[in-house]
Amino acid sequence: MIGRLYVQAVPTADLNRNTDWFTYPGVWTTYILILFFCWLLVLSVFNCTPGMAWTVVNLCHFVVTYHFFHWKKGTPFADDQGIYNGLTWWEQIDDGKQLTRNRKFLTVVPLVLYLIASHTTDYQHPMLFFNTVAVLVLVVAKFPNMHKVRIFGINGDQ
Amino acid sequence: MGLSKENCNRSSSTTHKTTEIFDLAPKSNPPDPFPIYTRRAEDNERDTSENGSNPIISLFTPPATRSLSLSLKFFSQSGSEQRLQSSAPPAFHHHRNQTLTAVRSKMITIPYLTALTTYFSYGLLFVFGQLRDFFRRIIDLWSHSSLQGYAPICLGLEDFYVRRLYLRIQDCFNRPISSPPDAWFDVVERVSKDNNKTLQRTKNVSRCLNLGSYNYLGFAAADEYCTPRVIESLKRFSPSTCSTRVDGGTTTLHTELEERVASFVGKPAAVVFGMGYVTNSAILPVLIGKGGLIISDSLNHNSIVNGARGSGATVRVFQHNTPSHLEKVLREQIADGQPRTHRPWKKIIIVVEGIYSMEGELCKLPEIVAVCKKYKAYVYLDEAHSIGAVGKTGRGVCELLGVDTAEVDVMMGTFTKSFGSCGGYIAGSKELIQYLKYTCPAHLYATSVSPPAAQQIISSIKVILGEDGSSRGAQKLAGIRENSNFFRSELQKMGFEVLGDNDSPVMPIMLYNPSKIPAFSRECLKRNVAVVTVAFPATPLLLARARICISAAHTREDLIKALEVISSVGDLVGVKYFPAEPNKQQLEEGRVKME
Repeated sequence: MIGRLYVQAVPTADLNRNTDWFTYPGVWTTYILILFFCWLLVLSVFNCTPGMAWTVVNLCHFVVTYHFFHWKKGTPFADDQGIYNGLTWWEQIDDGKQLTRNRKFLTVVPLVLYLIASHTTDYQHPMLFFNTVAVLVLVVAKFPNMHKVRIFGINGDQ
Repeated sequence: MGLSKENCNRSSSTTHKTTEIFDLAPKSNPPDPFPIYTRRAEDNERDTSENGSNPIISLFTPPATRSLSLSLKFFSQSGSEQRLQSSAPPAFHHHRNQTLTAVRSKMITIPYLTALTTYFSYGLLFVFGQLRDFFRRIIDLWSHSSLQGYAPICLGLEDFYVRRLYLRIQDCFNRPISSPPDAWFDVVERVSKDNNKTLQRTKNVSRCLNLGSYNYLGFAAADEYCTPRVIESLKRFSPSTCSTRVDGGTTTLHTELEERVASFVGKPAAVVFGMGYVTNSAILPVLIGKGGLIISDSLNHNSIVNGARGSGATVRVFQHNTPSHLEKVLREQIADGQPRTHRPWKKIIIVVEGIYSMEGELCKLPEIVAVCKKYKAYVYLDEAHSIGAVGKTGRGVCELLGVDTAEVDVMMGTFTKSFGSCGGYIAGSKELIQYLKYTCPAHLYATSVSPPAAQQIISSIKVILGEDGSSRGAQKLAGIRENSNFFRSELQKMGFEVLGDNDSPVMPIMLYNPSKIPAFSRECLKRNVAVVTVAFPATPLLLARARICISAAHTREDLIKALEVISSVGDLVGVKYFPAEPNKQQLEEGRVKME
């Protein structure tokens, strides 16, 4: 039955090939499924408690998404002649418009992960500390006021 | 539902995601948001006669299009698309032999599971690429570079896609050929000793069926009328004029060519350039500058994007082939005015293409021209793929859709696709062409069209119009139309997802998954069919496709062989996303019931 479900790919007006894939159907579900499968993977490889596994997933998610959304700048191809070279992926999506549905979803995901991780570890230290740091950094990085802000010039243009 | 979706901007398009998930599978074709404009493939098949050489005469006109011709004075108010139709200019007329051709806005319909697995595959490829880059950087710390102190040629992320994704399947692209790109051609085989990082040509060639060249009318190979004349002009003039048009590069061939092109296209005058890409990128900066506004379709070709960026005008984009969104963008921009000063725009140009080469779709020209007339914007039509290939006498998308050429301000086209030559042209009013000849850098500084190439264009235009004394031109035009409709309908019956409108010779078959791209390409090559596969970033990430270009030189046997090969490869690779249609008898019954 699931093989019979179809979705329609509405053509976007987003010209940036680096970010227009995020407007097509199925992205949100894929993201959530990847997180879930990572949790299963961590559980089976490390043989730890579910709480520890969620903490590991949360911290890895923090490192990976911080690196690719808020650190790496530009696009992985040269076709666009470098017009986005000063912008991180987060600043490029939805053409720089703030508070769109995609951005709200991406802000909610680390929060939900934090809640799950801290709940399943029963709010114990030191996991709680690391989880809180992770979620604070990620959520602050996604504020609309932080658009194109480089604190102390870190990761600024040369 | 289709209309309202197009009118939403990007941020609210995701609100429909949850409702979109539960679309049930279409029975044969995806649901059609604009059924009144549709002329289905079955209608075409039913209309073409057995020997297949008569033009399509339709005894059955869908009731909506009949009322459309009367609705010029009579305004119908249902839906915003109809509202645009009712304000259409009086030049909007039908041909007697063709009903309003299918300009349906077909949305790409992806099975949900395929979308998920495609994202996952790209994610996996990305992760592997990043890991390899990471280790490569560590290993490179040890090695000593001879370029100390120089800036790197590529910034770290820029060539990631080429190095880590494209090079893995490099053997599917850039395949060299060793014969003219006729219906059958020789593909040179290549081998790789280092897992596709470099490829070496071998001496072996394989004879393959050509489904990738833009050889719409079959002029790419030696032609009995054109080639002798081209050789004669080669002997008479020389391979190159060795000069720009204004210095010494205008021969009698060039003036004759410009006159012929102007009369063929239906405009008072034309100017011809040596390269098609340059025609767009050198003309747009001349036509418009700072203080002007260019609104271009989101899927326009790179040459138009380049020209628009180089012009210095403000560039805005409207959703592909959606006249309602174009109107919305126009209204917003006219109300806002120039950025920061908010003064009115000096000039507004709307740039659209006749046939979009990656989708095979026809432009919704009548509606777009109506919108432009309403807001007094200029229309620039790029007919690179549609000139010579569509329309009853091959005059392009204006003839096919019944738009008067006086309504389109600048008509651009190239000679590389249907005429078997090289170069591009701009056709417009006499004043416009005179102005371009004074100012356009491609005319003033670039070498003019090579004389044998110009002769090839002149001869092919003569053949198309029947001035060579034979009916080969009309046969070619009818041939390409039948071939495209036959091929498209057969592919759709097999269950492939094929984009593009009827009568369009370009048909992309959707593959989606990145691993299916090389699988499809290599398996087809093994069976001696050469197809072109297109992936990111030429297409959006999810929507990788294999693009098939049909030619008038393909015979029915060639097409049937191609269909068999594609069907077996499609089963092997798993790209038949739609259920295959039932066989003919049941289909006939269904048709009788509806009528």
